[in-house]
Amino acid sequence: MIEYYTFKHRGDALDYTDEIFLRLVPDLTVAIFYGSKISSAPKSQALLFSEILNSEEGSKSIDYLASVFEECLDEGSEYLILKVLKNGVECFRRGEVYAKIIKDGQILLLPNGFFGMSPDDRIVCATAKFYKNISDEGILADALVADSCSEWMNMMIRRISDQTQLRCGNLSVVTLKRNN
Amino acid sequence: MYDFSLLPEETVRAMIVALVLFLVSFLSFVIISLYTLINTSIYSKEHKEKLKLICDVAYFHERGKRNNQEDSIYISPLDMIEENGFVAACSDGMGGLLNGEVVSKFVTDSLFEHYPYKFNAQAENAKIISDISDKVYEEYHLSAGATLVMVHIFDDYMNFYSLGDSNIILIRNNRATILNQKQNYITLMIKKYAEGGIDTIDAYRDSRARGLIDFVGNHKCKVQMTSKPMRLIENDIIIVSSDGVTDSMPLNRIVSHIHADQNATGIARTIKYGVRASKNAKQDNYSAVVIKMNRSFV
Repeated sequence: MIEYYTFKHRGDALDYTDEIFLRLVPDLTVAIFYGSKISSAPKSQALLFSEILNSEEGSKSIDYLASVFEECLDEGSEYLILKVLKNGVECFRRGEVYAKIIKDGQILLLPNGFFGMSPDDRIVCATAKFYKNISDEGILADALVADSCSEWMNMMIRRISDQTQLRCGNLSVVTLKRNN
Repeated sequence: MYDFSLLPEETVRAMIVALVLFLVSFLSFVIISLYTLINTSIYSKEHKEKLKLICDVAYFHERGKRNNQEDSIYISPLDMIEENGFVAACSDGMGGLLNGEVVSKFVTDSLFEHYPYKFNAQAENAKIISDISDKVYEEYHLSAGATLVMVHIFDDYMNFYSLGDSNIILIRNNRATILNQKQNYITLMIKKYAEGGIDTIDAYRDSRARGLIDFVGNHKCKVQMTSKPMRLIENDIIIVSSDGVTDSMPLNRIVSHIHADQNATGIARTIKYGVRASKNAKQDNYSAVVIKMNRSFV
């Protein structure tokens, strides 16, 4: 079973221009669209992103899906797609949206492609704005202490709040954990 | 110039033999030294990842401007590191409550009594701390309390435990991070504000929000603990301290003051004088155990 928790915050920006999407079938797919850097109509790009993800093409391989996004979305679009498979995760990212995995007491940046995942591992997906105000060691410590994905998220948000009082633009974060 | 022809033949022969022997032994010495050096360097390179990290430890324990010393620290026996790992803890008697000095000392004395701790029994160790807290509660019924931060290091891994708002600081690659979360009302307020989609500035404005929601002496406290250990790397610096340190010396100042080539004693001394140099008129007690992780070639 996969446990996940999402957090969205407008911050001090006028609008929430990022977006988090979840698709539950056939595999859990988490997608973050980073619209904060798109100057014109970021919301329509996010809608387009969502349409593609929820279409039939969204259930195809991650490479195929990435090629469709590449073809249809604005050149400056930045996003991350993470598919949770039986024994690992498949990841594709474009631009400054990252996924990091907590594995064996260490934190690692998830590369594009397949990455094995064991039950104790945890994953955080977020835009660069989130990682700017929190250290890897902070993310790691919270992951090792927290019992659940929501608790982990609250701990990380506390760290970002200590730095910025959450006035740091849009925050879009997803935490994931595989339970036995 | 000496005229060697004037010397007896036996003496000249003896001198030549001595010279040859000296040259042979000198050459042997050079060859053996070079061989050892090259081998050690190859071995170190090949096995660097496999060699254990060792703890270089130092501490300071200062009263500041207070009349009493309400901080108390515990350092486990260094000669038992191989078998049981290394444990360091700092307990800070809660300001405004009675018997802070007695409670913090009771906490570290109790930790000493329970030593050794099993490294991979985090829940069991947290229960020991929780039992200590219950004993304090039974004695004082919330009229006294203390914070506690404790690290347990075994080879390249570390578990940590925390109650209250003292600090476990990790300095890695010139960046300092407080690993444990402060258990105060600010945490609850931030959660509410964040869920409501607003900024959290008001959570920091109210000084009462710094009040602790959990501490040693609270009934059925929830000890913050790592469920899996954190991997440590060479040159990591861990500082287990009371808040008297960070109140006067923020993390960025700690990082800017210490140097990569300093040992634990040097780092502890730098922080101690850094706190003193801040000339805080209300300087709280300030204590810390400093641990620097070095790679062992033994």
